[in-house]
Amino acid sequence: MKSGAQPIYMLRQAWLLVRGSPWLTAVSALTIALALTLVGLLAMVLFNAGHLLRELGQNLTLSVYLKDSATPEQEAAVRKQLEGHAGIKRVKALSREEDRARNRRLLSAELLQGLDEAAIPGQPMLEVEIDAELASRGDVEALVQWTQALKHVDSVQDVDFGAEKLRLLFAMVEIARTIGLVLSVVLLASAMFFVFSTIRLAVFSRKDEIEVLWLVGATPSFIRLPFLVEGGLQGLAGAVIATGLLGLLHTELLGLVRDVYMLNVNWSLLPPGMVVWLVIGGPAVGLLASALSVGRYLKV
Amino acid sequence: MIQLFHVYKRYPNGTDALVDLTLRVREGEFVFLTGPSGAGKSTLLRLLLVMERATEGQILIGGRNIHVLQERSIPFLRRNIGIVFQDFRLIPRRTVFENIAISLEIMGMGGKEIDRRVHQLLDGLRLGHRAGAFPGDLSAGEQQRVAIARALVNEPAILLADEPTGNLDPDLGQEILQLLIEISRRGTTVIVATHDHGHIERHGMRTLVLNRGQLTDDRPRGAAPTVRQSQVVPVHGTVHALAASGDDEPLQEVLTDAEDLS
Repeated sequence: MKSGAQPIYMLRQAWLLVRGSPWLTAVSALTIALALTLVGLLAMVLFNAGHLLRELGQNLTLSVYLKDSATPEQEAAVRKQLEGHAGIKRVKALSREEDRARNRRLLSAELLQGLDEAAIPGQPMLEVEIDAELASRGDVEALVQWTQALKHVDSVQDVDFGAEKLRLLFAMVEIARTIGLVLSVVLLASAMFFVFSTIRLAVFSRKDEIEVLWLVGATPSFIRLPFLVEGGLQGLAGAVIATGLLGLLHTELLGLVRDVYMLNVNWSLLPPGMVVWLVIGGPAVGLLASALSVGRYLKV
Repeated sequence: MIQLFHVYKRYPNGTDALVDLTLRVREGEFVFLTGPSGAGKSTLLRLLLVMERATEGQILIGGRNIHVLQERSIPFLRRNIGIVFQDFRLIPRRTVFENIAISLEIMGMGGKEIDRRVHQLLDGLRLGHRAGAFPGDLSAGEQQRVAIARALVNEPAILLADEPTGNLDPDLGQEILQLLIEISRRGTTVIVATHDHGHIERHGMRTLVLNRGQLTDDRPRGAAPTVRQSQVVPVHGTVHALAASGDDEPLQEVLTDAEDLS
């Protein structure tokens, strides 16, 4: 490989191979596209779920209601116990009056009319801010269990933990992740199999040519390269199709989220660098599959 | 240019394809290699191209001992050896021009230089007007000329031809042989394996006769065939080859060279 003419030669030969079996090449490229789209979709779901959980996590609080009889010492003990726990960002004590004042703000003016001040619920409590980075499900589970245990503390009347609502979301993300991963692996494997078979057929259809090249003194890499380039091209075509599909899906999804759920999504639904990964990953998958095929069927 | 010292080729099934073969072909020499089917003609050509390795012995090409050649060096040796087959082995999907250009493309030559060299050669072979044709559109004689062009375009030191006239009618075969002789006159060492005695007798070039893997006769250029092949008594290769080639370089000296290389 000592001249600038070689890359052009390799690309031309690879293009001739593509033209030799256009349908097979198209099927291979489409399978890669499908696999990559699914992987991209999975990445999108996981990325956005993580984003959503982080957003929710910022408002995630644990309310520990204390018994009326709780002494300042008991309150301090509970507070100390809370502050010592991992995943807890801040603990703020609210007196009965402060809690009542906050609840009054939550109730509508109509309801408040003629309502006795004492009827508005108010309870001395500790408002606990949970670390927003608390992303993994295991942590929340541990925290939920721990808060259940808090209920048995003498001075604690009740514990209200918003994160319990998140458990469903976490479970759904978990299922999506598992199904997505399995499907991605299966699809990627079949995409690789398609490329592998296409390259094998290309090698067989070029047996005469390979022999001549070998006899006139072509190096093994010179003989193999066009086949590898063909695999890479199939992968690149797949990646481009997948990027287009995901872009389309992204636009549609963003519109859906905005229109139906009236949510103002202020972050991109695409994980950063995903397009780059796809454009690298596609040719990499193609190259790997063709390298396996060439290694197995092109003996020089 | 080509030297063989006590070369043996034994196949795993026990067949002895070449037995104690010692010979020498000088630069620019034209040599016929003949003998009945299975005599070892093709085996010898395959050994020279390092498509196979000798079981024993040394082979020197241009002073290099190819017996000890590393795998990755083989392609570079082959660029110095052109090969022509009975069945032409042209690539049907490629045009005449592209078939010939292969030999230069593998060397990484630029497009313009390839263009110049291939067209020059095609014109010399009276095939200039066929550059864009596919092998299927050519006559057998034209196809063999294209195959010769492919073997010659990178100006190899050696040209091997395995039954190059086998698929051609006598007149065309004659034409191809004339071409090969002309090529040797220009300095290329040419070895033509053939069992066509008509050609051999007509041209009176040096002829190596193989039988059952052994060199049974080495007729120098211009010598009339004195013995029939079947009457040749196998002679020990070394002595015979040296006596016949008229080369006075002592064998021991050449062998020492070979050892230096290895």
